[in-house]
Amino acid sequence: MSTYLTKRMLYMLIILFAASLLIFCLYALTPGDFITGNIKLTAERKAELREIYGLNKPVLERYGTWMNNAFHGDFGYSLAQQKPVLQLFGDYIWNSFLLAAVSTFLTWLIAVIIGVISAYKQYSWFDTLVMIAIFAAMSLPSFFIGLFLIKILAVDLKWLPPGGMMTTGSNATGFAYFKEVVHHMTLPVIVMTLLGLGSLTRYFRSNMIDVLKQDYIRTARAKGLKERKVLFTHALRNALLPAITLVGFELPALFGGSIIIEQIFNWPGIGQLYMKSFGLRDYPLLMGFTMFLAILTVIGTLLSDILYRVADPRVRL
Amino acid sequence: MRKSTLLLSSLLIAGSLLLSACSENGNTDAASTDTPANTAATADPGAAAGGTEAPAAPAVVPAGALSEPFTATDLTKLPAVAQKRTDTIIVGLTDPSGAFTPYFQESGYDGNVSSLLYASLVTVDDKGVPTPELAESWEVSADQLTYTFHLRKDLKFSDGSPLTADDVAFTWTIQYDKAYDGGSSLPSLKVKGGEAYKAGTAESIDGIKVIDPQTISVTLEQPNATALVTLGSNVLSKAYYGKDYKFGQLEYIKKLHEKPLGDGPYKLEKFIPGQEVRLVANENYFKGKPKTEHFIYKTTTGDAWQFLETGEVDYASFPATEENIGKLKELGYVNILPYTPSTYGYMQVNLKHEQLKDKRVRQAIAYGLDRQSIYVDAAEGAGAVANIPASPISWSYTEEGINPYKYDPDQANKLLDEAGWSVGAGGIREKDGKPLSIHYLASKSKNSDIFIAVAKENFAALGIDFQPEIFADFNSLVSKTESGDYDLVSYSTSMLTDPADGFMQFFDGEITDYENPKFVELYNKALATTDIEQRKAVYKELYQLFNDELPIIFTNYKKTVYAYNGRIQNLSVSPFIGLAGSLPNWTLK
Repeated sequence: MSTYLTKRMLYMLIILFAASLLIFCLYALTPGDFITGNIKLTAERKAELREIYGLNKPVLERYGTWMNNAFHGDFGYSLAQQKPVLQLFGDYIWNSFLLAAVSTFLTWLIAVIIGVISAYKQYSWFDTLVMIAIFAAMSLPSFFIGLFLIKILAVDLKWLPPGGMMTTGSNATGFAYFKEVVHHMTLPVIVMTLLGLGSLTRYFRSNMIDVLKQDYIRTARAKGLKERKVLFTHALRNALLPAITLVGFELPALFGGSIIIEQIFNWPGIGQLYMKSFGLRDYPLLMGFTMFLAILTVIGTLLSDILYRVADPRVRL
Repeated sequence: MRKSTLLLSSLLIAGSLLLSACSENGNTDAASTDTPANTAATADPGAAAGGTEAPAAPAVVPAGALSEPFTATDLTKLPAVAQKRTDTIIVGLTDPSGAFTPYFQESGYDGNVSSLLYASLVTVDDKGVPTPELAESWEVSADQLTYTFHLRKDLKFSDGSPLTADDVAFTWTIQYDKAYDGGSSLPSLKVKGGEAYKAGTAESIDGIKVIDPQTISVTLEQPNATALVTLGSNVLSKAYYGKDYKFGQLEYIKKLHEKPLGDGPYKLEKFIPGQEVRLVANENYFKGKPKTEHFIYKTTTGDAWQFLETGEVDYASFPATEENIGKLKELGYVNILPYTPSTYGYMQVNLKHEQLKDKRVRQAIAYGLDRQSIYVDAAEGAGAVANIPASPISWSYTEEGINPYKYDPDQANKLLDEAGWSVGAGGIREKDGKPLSIHYLASKSKNSDIFIAVAKENFAALGIDFQPEIFADFNSLVSKTESGDYDLVSYSTSMLTDPADGFMQFFDGEITDYENPKFVELYNKALATTDIEQRKAVYKELYQLFNDELPIIFTNYKKTVYAYNGRIQNLSVSPFIGLAGSLPNWTLK
């Protein structure tokens, strides 16, 4: 186990190093830089600014500087936002995390429940209707369902706020603030859950169907175990195993923010900030955020491998 | 069961609503809220999706478009949220980032915020003519080189500390620091001694002289009519922003971005990143404390409609399409203000290419493109056709002696024949064995899609081979333009304050191949005097020259409407300074 871990760590470092180089070059080679878009500057002033920002240096040298600073804990200063990159992360990532964590939890919970029931009652009217509904939800574009719900629930019925994270100008603190945030996040969470539900439910349903056909389930039933126990202890546990792989992939998604949802619901998350920085070629922010996601992805895969080992004794590392 | 029926039925409704929802989404990006003040990187090329009011505009204003302000018909329809606010006004702003120090901000949205936090020495009126603000008067020397500003008495920053000529001198000086990395145009004014200061060979800038606490003068190396407004911008407190200043070190100012100290109508109460900028009235404002205690800029990245319809914002801007105006009128509780931004759209022409060096080919393109269809009709009236490098709201705007280049394919074909391009094989014109081909660049937008659809047919009718290329974002478009691989590229100017700004692209290195001594002579002549009537005459000549020569091909003006809560009184929007001018007088009925 420990040799395995050491080896994995080494691979991870190499992967991250290669990824950082690749990402840096990709961003640096995208046509246009941070200065290009500012049409009010004269050519001389543009040259002066490129000198100040170091944008006129060769890509590899810039990469070296970035890497060196990153090792010293300095992830740079956002050119467009005029703030340190790490401070921006602090300002925006937790908002994204809040949305993602709640909706991921709900998605998994509902998907497991629906998946189990519809697998157990395969081809029943419940199963058929749920599958139709799920396909429908999966095929809706997020911006559409988002705007549609805003129109119905916020603009027409005025049950929920149309966007943002809190009431504008509100000075609420403590529980009142908590209530306000919950009120504001309901709509985006509904949409995100609805969109994520489809694939996950189908995943659990087919896993469950496979497991239910296994010999040990027949054995369990033959032993005279209660159906509930067969379903939730014996079958579900085995059906959930492959889903552990998915847990690893959820990690970057938890922090990465959702560009479209955040845009529609005016949510102060990192996704829309990232999108804007790309249009502006705000290299430090782009680089910092992409590397952050790369690190989470690598850690996520490691985590799911280890979890797999913990959950399934048949797996050896 | 219930859940799925609900979903199914909502799907059915969804299907029928799909079309309208899509068109609503299409408007989203254009329907931002407040106009960015000194937008650095937000010029949207291809352009055109806003505005209505057509003061004797050349274009026909389609029926239904708004030509004068509309007053709310039924204030009782106002959503309860907005009804409850008594001392707070909320305006949406796309994306303030928190860098509120003037001269040091990169985003135009931060400029919107700082325009309320800081007052200027000189401001401009609705026509762009300079008027006094913090400076009660100024003199310009006979040689147009020395500007002397007289500050008002007893000016104060929001913390009560006095504002004097020393603060003004400090503000100008740090923009010549070698570490200054902002986008201010002051350094290009060439203040006497500025270069020496930047090089580190002088302790202070020679040309800046503090005469007494109320008087300051500055000397330039060459006359420049835009200097008055550029010099007369915001003032930074030397005691606050300058206490740690050493030559070559401006890093410390970054720490003060979120803690601004200004002298404008409002001061910063709280900045919540990605959500709100809360401002509170400044009791030390030189015109007296603003009438509404709280003002909030709310970050609205999405659609402005949902916030206006629920009363979460009091003010929003939309492209002046008939559909938008109709919908706004139906709301009943908003006043609507038609507005033409101080910008114009144009196509930059690659004058290095032999075929476009010929004026007749450029004119043929202007005649042969159905600009009325592209920019006015297809935009549902939210645009007008441009023929000179100035917006219709500028004091220099004129239509006298201006050729409107009305869509006329026959005239275009005639000009191309005259220029020696004859129709060859496959209907494409040729000259000396080379086909007449136009490589057109634009960035992705609804308008560039329309442009390409119409232009394809238009160019085919002229026998021109049209090859459009679309870019995903603005920076890659500019970068491609800089590589020189294009014939035409669509751009829109950033906000123009002085008429001279309308020619900026010829002087900042974007367009280098237009050589016309008469143009340079007239341009300098217009800048060499500060007398408006004299300048007007020179600009008229310049516009006529450009209208005939077409070194860039003019395309369109945008038209916008502002919709605001009918309870707000005394609201007006200046094309040059946005809300900042009238905001201190806004009251809630």
